Amino acid sequence: MTQGTPVAPAEGGSFGVPLLRAVEVVRDFPGLRALDGVSLEVASGEIVALVGHNGSGKSTLVKILAGVDTADAGRVELAELGGTTTELHVIHQDLGLVSELTAVENLKLAPDADRPRLAPNRRAREREHTRALISRFGDPFDVNVPISRLTPAQRSIIAIARALDGWKHERNILILDEPTEALHASEVDILFEAVRRTATAGAGVVFISHRLDEVLDLADRVVVLRNGSKVADLPTADVDHEALVTHVTGSQVHHRPDVARTRGVDEVALEIVGLTGPQVHGFDLTLRHGEIVGLAGVVGSGRETVPSLVFGAVSAAAESFRLVGRDYLSRSPRASVRRGMAFVAGDRATLGAVPAMNARENMTLPDLRPVTGRFGALRRRAERTAAGDLARRYDVRPPAPEQRFAQFSGGNQQKIVFAKWLRNEPRVLVLEEPTQGVDIGAKQFIYSEIDAAAERGMAVLVCSSDAKELVRLCDRVAVMRNGVVATELAGDRLTETALVVEGYGLASPSNSRGEEPRHVQ
Amino acid sequence: MSSSDSITTRWLTALSFRNISAVYIFIVIFATFSIVTPETFLQGGAWHTLLDAQAITAIAAIAVMIPLTTGSFNLAIGAEVGFASILVAVLQVKHDVPFVIAIPITLLVGALVGLVSGLIITKGRIDSFVATLGLSSILLAGLAWMSSSKQIIGLQDGFRDIAISTYFGITVPTYLMLLLAVVVWYVLERTPVGRRMYAAGYNPAGARLAGVNVVRLRVGALVAGGVIAAMAGVLLTSRLNTGEPTVGPGLLLPALTAVFLGSTQLAGGRFNVWGTVLAVYVLATGIKGLQLIGAPPWISDLFNGIALLCAVGLSQWEKTAARAGAVRRALPFTRQGPDDDAPSEQSPATVTR
Repeated sequence: MTQGTPVAPAEGGSFGVPLLRAVEVVRDFPGLRALDGVSLEVASGEIVALVGHNGSGKSTLVKILAGVDTADAGRVELAELGGTTTELHVIHQDLGLVSELTAVENLKLAPDADRPRLAPNRRAREREHTRALISRFGDPFDVNVPISRLTPAQRSIIAIARALDGWKHERNILILDEPTEALHASEVDILFEAVRRTATAGAGVVFISHRLDEVLDLADRVVVLRNGSKVADLPTADVDHEALVTHVTGSQVHHRPDVARTRGVDEVALEIVGLTGPQVHGFDLTLRHGEIVGLAGVVGSGRETVPSLVFGAVSAAAESFRLVGRDYLSRSPRASVRRGMAFVAGDRATLGAVPAMNARENMTLPDLRPVTGRFGALRRRAERTAAGDLARRYDVRPPAPEQRFAQFSGGNQQKIVFAKWLRNEPRVLVLEEPTQGVDIGAKQFIYSEIDAAAERGMAVLVCSSDAKELVRLCDRVAVMRNGVVATELAGDRLTETALVVEGYGLASPSNSRGEEPRHVQ
Repeated sequence: MSSSDSITTRWLTALSFRNISAVYIFIVIFATFSIVTPETFLQGGAWHTLLDAQAITAIAAIAVMIPLTTGSFNLAIGAEVGFASILVAVLQVKHDVPFVIAIPITLLVGALVGLVSGLIITKGRIDSFVATLGLSSILLAGLAWMSSSKQIIGLQDGFRDIAISTYFGITVPTYLMLLLAVVVWYVLERTPVGRRMYAAGYNPAGARLAGVNVVRLRVGALVAGGVIAAMAGVLLTSRLNTGEPTVGPGLLLPALTAVFLGSTQLAGGRFNVWGTVLAVYVLATGIKGLQLIGAPPWISDLFNGIALLCAVGLSQWEKTAARAGAVRRALPFTRQGPDDDAPSEQSPATVTR
C-alpha cells in the first residue's frame, strides 16, 4: 500500500492542491431548479462548510458530488494525483454503523479483497489496526464493546475511521452530513478534533451543519446556498454569526424582544418535588403559567430523561407531583394528554409522530373528540378543514395535510408536531430539543410560536442541548448535574457561557472543595 | 384544478391497476377459465358453493387482519378456528350442552384465547410472531386432546341450520361475513378507535406519546380477533355438520395470504377489510379454476404460497413506488422534495467513488 505524503496546510489561508472542483453545476427537477450554476472547490487540508436552509440545494449538491445523482449541466472533477484518483466519502447523519457490533467488527464489515471470504478473522491484527486508526483522531477507547455502549462522538469517529480505512493516500475528500446533530457540546469538540486531524493529514473536508457556531468554529471557509444558488463563499475569519444568518435567510436576524418579562408570576402550573427515575435522583421544579423554563446539562446529567419522566412516557416516582393544583403521581402519556400536557419529543421520526400517516392524521391524533360526530364516527370534512387551517396557521410547506408526514422536510415536520400539540391549547408544554434538525427559517417560526404560547399563559419547559436556544427562549434555566438541579440561572446571569460553565460544574465553589452536591433552594 | 378535473382524477386513481389489481386479476382468471373449461366453470352451483364456503375463510381473514392493523401477527388463527370448531362440537355431543349455550361459551373461549395472546405480547413483551406460534401449538394440542383427533359426529338438530339456511338464495355465513365486514370497516375507517389502531400499528412508540393507549388497543384487537375466529369455527362445524379436527388449522395460509394481498388493494398499502374480502374470493376463484381443469388437490397450497409471496412483494414494491411518486408530486409546490431530510432511505451510508 502506497502512503501519500501528508500535506501540511500552508500559512495565510492558502491550502494544498485542489482535490475537488465542481463547476457551474445545474440540476433541474420537474418544476424546480434545485441547483443553479453552483461552483465549489475544495483543496487538500481545507475544511469547507456548506450551509443553507432545508431545500437550499445542499443535499442535491452532495448527491451530485458523491455521484449518486447526475448534474444536468456543469461538471464535477476529482484531482488525479500521482497516478491515483482522489476518492470521495460521504458520512451521513445516521453514520451507517451496526450498533450491536464492536468497533473492530464495524471496521471489518467490508470484505477483505486479499483474503478468501471464509478464511478466519485475524482478530488480534484487526484489533491493533482499529486502535491505530482510532488513535489518529483522538483519545483511544475500547474497541471490543458493542458500539451502542460508546458515546455518539466515538461512534462518529468510527465512521470517519472506516471511511478513511481504505484510502491509498491521504489526499481525499470527506463529506460530513450534519455529523453533530446528535452530539453534546463536549462531544462536538472531540469530533472536531478528529476532523481537524483528518484535514491536517491532507484530506479536503466538506462539513454540512445547521449549527452556525460550529461552522465558524471548525471551517476554514464557508459556502452558503440559498434557493439553489451560491450566495456566499467566504473565509470564516471574515464572517460572524449574524452575517452568516443574514446570508442563509436573506434577511435580517430577529432578535429576542428585549422587554423585561413580567409574565408568569402567580399561578403555579406544575410543581415537582423529588422526581426520581433513570439518571434522575430527586428533581425539583416549579413552573408557572406563562413562564418558559429551560433545562440544561451535559449528557448523562439527567437532562435528557426529565421530559419523559414529567410527561409519563417513562415510569418514575416522585414525592409530590402537582399539575394545575392537583396531585398527579401515576402518570401515563394518555393521562397527561387528557390533563392538558403536551410533549414534543426530541426524536421526531420514532417518537414525535407517526411518519407513515399523513399530516392531517398526525395533527388530530392526540385528541379526536372535536372531530368526532354522531355514532362515534369521525367527521371527515370537519377534520380536513381543521387540518387545512392548522397547516396554514403553522406555515407548513407545502400546506398539504394529505401528504405523508415522512415526506415533509425536517422543519415542516416539526411545524406539524407543534400544530398537533398546540391545537388544543395545552396548559403545560414540554419540549425536548424543539429545533433539532430544523432549518433557520422554521426555527425562528417555532421560537415565535413558543413565545406566543407563553404569552397566552401556557407553562413551557424546554429541554435543550443548545445553549443559545435556551438563552433566546427562557425566563430562567435549571442546570442539571448528576441527576439533580445544580443551579438556576435567570436574568443577567443567564448567558451561554454561564450555561456551559455551570453544565460542567466548572464555576461551582463546591466543586473546588470536592464532590459534595451543592445545596439548592 | 377544476372540480370536474379532480373527479376524473379520483375515478382514474380508483380504477387504476395499482389500486384494484385484484379485480383485474379476477377478470383475467375468470375469462381464462371461462374459455378453457366453460361447461364446469360457468356453472351456477359451483359459484354458490364458492361464495358460501369462502365466507368462512373471509371471516377468518378478518380475524387476522384486525390485530395486524395494530401491529400484531396472529399465526394462531388456524388453530383458534379449529379449536373453536371442536369445542362447540364437543360441548354438544359429549357434555350435552344445548347449542344455543355452547355457541356463546365457544365465543367466550375465543375471546379468552385472544386476551391471553394479547397479554403475552404486550405485558410479556414477547414478539407477536413467536407468541402466537407458541399459542398455536398449545391450541392444536388441546384440539387433539378434546377430539382424540377424530371427527365428532351426532351434533344437535337445529345446529346445522345455522350455516345452511338461505335467504334469497344466499347462506347465513355469507350474510354474517358481510355484516362483520361492514362493522369492522366502520370501526377501522370511520371512528377514532380505528384511527388510533392504525397509528399504534405504524409507530407504537410515537402513537403512545400522542396519548394513544397502545397496549389496550393491541389487546382489544386480539380479543376481537379471537371472538371472530371462534365464530368462524362455529360456522365451520355447522356447515360440515361434524367437528372436523383438520379443517380449521388449514385456514391459516389462505387467511394470511388474503390479508396481505388485500393490503395492496383499495387503500394504498393499509390493511383493510374490503381488500381482504376481495382477495379471499380472487384467490379462491383461481384455485377453483385450476382444480376444474384437473389440477391435483395440493394446488391450493402451492397457489396460496405463491400468492402470499407475490402479495408481500407487491406491497413492498408499492411502498417504494408511493414514496417516489409523492416526492415527485410535492415538487411543484416546494423546493423541499429533492432536499429531503431522510438520506438513509435510499442512499448508502458511505458512498465511494
